[in-house]
Amino acid sequence: MKAVLKKGVAVFTPQGFLDGNNTSELLSIDDIESAINLKADMILVSLKKVIFFNKNGLDAFTKLFHAVRKKNHSIVGFCDYDAIKYDAIRKFFGDQIDFSLYKTSDIASLFSSGFKETDKTVLLYSPDKSQRTAMAIDLHDGGYNPIVAQTEEEFNDKASKKELYDYIIDLTYLGHMGQKIATRVAGNAIIYTVSQFLDAEINDKFNIEYHKNSLNVGFRLFIFDAYKTISMNVHALNFFSKLASSAAEYNATISIVGMSFNKTPESFKETLEDSGIIFYEQMDDILQNKELLKELGASSASNIKNKRTINKQTVTELPSFISATVGTIEMMTNAKAIKNGVKIDNIFIDDKKDKIASSIGYYGDLDGMVILVFPIIIAKKACELLIGEQTDDIELILDTLAELVNIVGGKIKTLLADENINVNITLPRTYGNIDSLLEVIENKKGVQVDLSFNDDKFLFFLTR
Amino acid sequence: MITKNKIDSFIEKIPPSPKIIKETLLLVNQGELTKAAKVAGEDMALRTYLKNIVNKPIYGFTNEVNDLSQIFAILGLSLTKQTVYNYMISLLSPDKWVLFKLNKKTFYELQADLSKNWEKILKYLNISDKEMYNAITLLPSSIIITEALFFEHLDDVKLLRETKAIDFNTILSRLCGVSLFDICEEIAKKWEMNEVIYKVIQSSSGTKQSGNKEIDTLGKWMHLLLFYELSKPIFIEARLNDFIDFQIDFVADIYSEFAEVMEIS
Repeated sequence: MKAVLKKGVAVFTPQGFLDGNNTSELLSIDDIESAINLKADMILVSLKKVIFFNKNGLDAFTKLFHAVRKKNHSIVGFCDYDAIKYDAIRKFFGDQIDFSLYKTSDIASLFSSGFKETDKTVLLYSPDKSQRTAMAIDLHDGGYNPIVAQTEEEFNDKASKKELYDYIIDLTYLGHMGQKIATRVAGNAIIYTVSQFLDAEINDKFNIEYHKNSLNVGFRLFIFDAYKTISMNVHALNFFSKLASSAAEYNATISIVGMSFNKTPESFKETLEDSGIIFYEQMDDILQNKELLKELGASSASNIKNKRTINKQTVTELPSFISATVGTIEMMTNAKAIKNGVKIDNIFIDDKKDKIASSIGYYGDLDGMVILVFPIIIAKKACELLIGEQTDDIELILDTLAELVNIVGGKIKTLLADENINVNITLPRTYGNIDSLLEVIENKKGVQVDLSFNDDKFLFFLTR
Repeated sequence: MITKNKIDSFIEKIPPSPKIIKETLLLVNQGELTKAAKVAGEDMALRTYLKNIVNKPIYGFTNEVNDLSQIFAILGLSLTKQTVYNYMISLLSPDKWVLFKLNKKTFYELQADLSKNWEKILKYLNISDKEMYNAITLLPSSIIITEALFFEHLDDVKLLRETKAIDFNTILSRLCGVSLFDICEEIAKKWEMNEVIYKVIQSSSGTKQSGNKEIDTLGKWMHLLLFYELSKPIFIEARLNDFIDFQIDFVADIYSEFAEVMEIS
């Protein structure tokens, strides 16, 4: 069984009956390995479609959870259950519970470091005070606004006014906190939250691949939220210095906010400033200052120092890229694609109106970025298979477009692997309008292929 | 990926029910089991199939049963007809399974398990209508149809399903407006099966109710039985656990009774 990745959470969804006999068939070590390769912050088993389970059935999963935690530091646990199932799990495992329980996968995603939705109001309740506190801290760190109900009565009273809250959390238990560094996106800036003592472990906890991908897809401002950091040692100093050097290649800015140097040598601050890191006392000093944001690069992603050009190897593999794209769109629309023209130049978009775009990067033996520009009408059509109905909700369409581009990326990976070219793909990025896309790629040369599906025009652009 | 034309061509290629099967079923309907066994014996494949099925552990015979008249006598009218229908469905199964990790043996195993447990359920529900016994036989054809339509698109389907938790029935319905169970109905019509059979099957999808209380109740039991079977290690390994969507709310109200009938503790 394969996991489905959404909002940084990889979810396995077994169906039917779970007992000790069938669990190992449901979730093999290979399946877990694939989930780990998805770079998910959480690996969960959904009980939404499980009608019966016993302790033996869950035990087999918890053994796998331990293996995952040991290897990947991901948060592991169960999600999507009702009160009866929740009580049963708590009863089976008593105080020995060392995995997490999330009432729904959406609630789980609030605790995932990779989820980007912020500034949401979350009502939460747990009869266990330490759980309430732990959840509130975790949510606050993630950029949410948690409201903690102290009693069940208070919770029921508040929860009856659903419209006041974006999320309502109960029947949830945090087994182990994630050990990764939480990441959130505010506008075009990426905020990493670091805390406690920063030492050599920061190299393991920091998702360098995510960071590199963020640079590749155009993010230029990275902020370390260090309000809760007590001190750092020389290993952490080296980590930040190296990060600053690599950011400089992309003309990106690294800043540290809220760091107190009471227990850290002041000379560290000077060293970090010399390497290009900028310090601020308050987060709002940056985020509320539009001029400063612009200066630091968060409002524009166009000023890349090392502009790379498309190379022969990429052009040689162009048929694989086009085939993956066309194949996927054909699969989604059941329509035939017609290739109208190919040119190597800067991207040219005839009419920017009513168009949206998505990009996905790849790296490894080859590297570059595929950009797809859709008229909204085609995007809607292509996403219908995934959404299941017609919709005009642009957020939903963009979200689904990211899933579609992920399929394209997966297909590219498979087609290139057939030729012994190994690449990994980045997370997809979507653009609600063409201007925001052009900020990233306006001056990049690449291969542009104009295609049409049932007379609807569609643009494929491959660049580095 | 899959078009309506491909579905039409699949249905078109389904052969009419063989003459010997038709004659056997006619004689069974008339209660002539001995004559039916004689006719059935003329088809070597049918003979072998019946022997294989009846000698599976779930039928509980201590000694191997080889004689067709004996087999028909042991099974009785309802189960004989059910088993012949199972054979007809098995004729559609591919020589080599690609999408699902099945083979003839495991597919027959599924058919036998479903049939015996369905019999248990009908007895519990006090239903003696012979056509209701036959209804279960059409259910595995949904697996055969999935294999036939999707096996060429293994990689595409894999990528799609890793991105979105979407079952084969939903993919087919969204792409072509036709469900796996609509195709089962077409097969049943082509083979002149009783209307009640495909109505129960449609209802057992959990997504399309008939409006007839008895049929929909049976559809509910069949849906739960299917997932009870598909939760067995052998069928999970065959990748069948999530080939269609389990509608847990649809069956929630009969679960306790089901657990009692199947002795689940």
